[in-house]
Amino acid sequence: MSSLEASEDSSIPEPRKFGALVPATPRELKGMISDWRRGRATKNLLEAFQDAYIVVIAALMIGAMVINVILNAQRVVASCTSVSCLSARTVLPWAALTGAIAVALSVSRLFGPVLASAAEGFWLLDAPISRAKLLGLRLVAAVAVAFVGGAAIGAVVSALTGSGLIEVLIWSAATALSAAAAVAFAAAQQGIDRHLLSRMFTHLFGLLAVAALMLVVAVAANWIQIGFAGDLGPQLGLIMIAFSGSVLVASIVLARLRLGRIRRTRLLSGGALVSGIAGAFFALDIGLARDIVVARRAMEIGHVKPVRGRGVGLEAIIWREWQRLRRFPQPLLVVGATTVVPYATDALGMGSLSSVFGALALFGATIPMLGGLRVLTRTGGLARCLPFSLARLKLASIAVPAVVVAVWTVSVAPSFAGFGEVTAQRTLSEAVLMAIATGSAGLLAAVRWTQAKGVDFGAPMIATQAGAFPPGLLTNLFRGFDVALLITAPMLLGASPFWSLALAAIVAAILLNSMDAETLRARQAEQQKMLEAQRKQREAAKAAAQQRKR
Amino acid sequence: MPGMAKRTTVLKVTGLRRAFGQNTIFDRFSLEVRTGEAIALTGRNGAGKSTLLRCLVGADRPDDGAVEVCGNTMRETSPEIRRDVATVIDDLDFFPDLSVVEHLDLLARAHGISEPDELVDGVLEEVQLVPQSGQLPGTLSSGQRRRLALATAFVRPRKLLILDEPEQRLDVEGLNWLADRLKTERQSGLAIVFASHEPALVDKVATRVIEMGAPRG
Repeated sequence: MSSLEASEDSSIPEPRKFGALVPATPRELKGMISDWRRGRATKNLLEAFQDAYIVVIAALMIGAMVINVILNAQRVVASCTSVSCLSARTVLPWAALTGAIAVALSVSRLFGPVLASAAEGFWLLDAPISRAKLLGLRLVAAVAVAFVGGAAIGAVVSALTGSGLIEVLIWSAATALSAAAAVAFAAAQQGIDRHLLSRMFTHLFGLLAVAALMLVVAVAANWIQIGFAGDLGPQLGLIMIAFSGSVLVASIVLARLRLGRIRRTRLLSGGALVSGIAGAFFALDIGLARDIVVARRAMEIGHVKPVRGRGVGLEAIIWREWQRLRRFPQPLLVVGATTVVPYATDALGMGSLSSVFGALALFGATIPMLGGLRVLTRTGGLARCLPFSLARLKLASIAVPAVVVAVWTVSVAPSFAGFGEVTAQRTLSEAVLMAIATGSAGLLAAVRWTQAKGVDFGAPMIATQAGAFPPGLLTNLFRGFDVALLITAPMLLGASPFWSLALAAIVAAILLNSMDAETLRARQAEQQKMLEAQRKQREAAKAAAQQRKR
Repeated sequence: MPGMAKRTTVLKVTGLRRAFGQNTIFDRFSLEVRTGEAIALTGRNGAGKSTLLRCLVGADRPDDGAVEVCGNTMRETSPEIRRDVATVIDDLDFFPDLSVVEHLDLLARAHGISEPDELVDGVLEEVQLVPQSGQLPGTLSSGQRRRLALATAFVRPRKLLILDEPEQRLDVEGLNWLADRLKTERQSGLAIVFASHEPALVDKVATRVIEMGAPRG
């Protein structure tokens, strides 16, 4: 026996006798974790509320204002008995319902909907315990969130179209149950690791929502006529409640049975996505949150068939943008869908708001097309590799989206001319100018949002009632919206669209030319250095002259 | 003969200073790099190598001093500077929906190369990313992303190459390739400035070595 073996023999203790190992139950583990969490809490709920009283009061005030606005709008629109209003009242709740299902399915596919954090994945999912029991509450939480969100959407849309209280309650319940059923269905699909049906239904219900909006427009424009049976809507709503409820129950049962089969990687990727997005939202950096989602989608796709580029110089960049849009054309569908917004707004008798709503809808729809601009402006690393000024790079990367927006502008121009019985009538030239101004507002708002830099937490803080805030933390939330509202404000106030176009030109000059803040600072620093050098030269010459005199 | 050709100054650094608060990273740093020269910056972590390189490429602004590339004052946004300087530092970003080969094709075309297929294929072969040519950057491993970053510097015309620890995340084979490639680039007249912790790379490529910062302890 070697000396090593001898020493090992003498130093290794006898293994402890644990007896038969009995794994902890999921309930015990969860209890232990919540006990740790409570043990580390430094405040109780009441103290936390006392600290956050400003937020609570602000939320109550804003909530009360929003509800008041909705109730007032409901009273005003309820008195409208035109064909446009009747069609909106009948059809828009359906658009909200199908839209809510599409959104619920889409978000569910993105996040899971059942997910687990990295810590849970490491410490709990590997343990010999029932995964289904661990994840049961997650499923319920996801379904509950969809239910609440659906209820809010259904109630707001049906109230804003002038429906009575009973109808509002019916549509709220129908939309809530449909959204919850969609999430439960996606969870059931997640359990067998299949997503084809979820994807198909997402597109189907999305198309139905757009079709419903277009139906409202078509009725308002007198392109088609439909009969309106006053009590048919609520009855159909009740049928939807029964149907959605059945789907919800069946899907929850299926999802619950399959919970234990969801792959760990699928659970963790959803959790990682949520934590990444939560971090971005904590810094109120919506752009970063979107970057995380885009990166996740790209990872899911993984591989593409390479396409040869075209042209040289800036032309090559413009062609690449076009090829990227052809490869992933979904943003085009969204932009196409937003053409309905100015028509629908006009059809509902809110023609003065068409430009605002149109610009805001286009703003949201254009952002996905500006991925190239986002990458070129977020770090500067890639832009440094390209032999052009930032201003020219920006112009090249928005060229294709600008063409799409130009087509959008042509498509929505008739809505500004007025086409329904309650719509405002304008001259063709004024309508075209309004459409151009609205399109510019949407595009420039998206450009501003896309090239926004994250909040600089290293900069000096600003003292506020709620504590120290880094500059730009809150204004980051309004980026894009500010430009859309600024440019459309003259039209909203009844002024000539020329004012809006002038404002758009100024905003474009600031956002797109080379006079961005970074370059200006660099030039300023350079000029200061030159002035300093000249001053030193003059002083040296003066000193030399004085010395010569002596 | 190449050795007899007149060497022109590509990079001229005069009296560069960078400090973060009280902590002076470097002061009165001057350097002149001519065609066919490779300068290696070595030194411990935190010695200021990366900060210096960031100042040289315009990603960071020095407190004092001047940087000139081919007679042009360094301004990161200047098209002339972007045309002449190829950089591989940590802030390189990629389009999430463009594949590996499409990135290289785009860069080459943007720099005026109208038929870049052969060049791009050659570089892809060298960096051993041919099997990944259709992959999106998000799916690449960290080593593959590093290779792609290096490839971006070789598919475009360049007069000055600035690299920050190019050996990072490369395996032994990759390191050997990089050393050979940089040596060839230098011998063909390219000016190179690079920071490195890899003695083999420094020995093979550098014509001058600058030790940054005070030794530890």
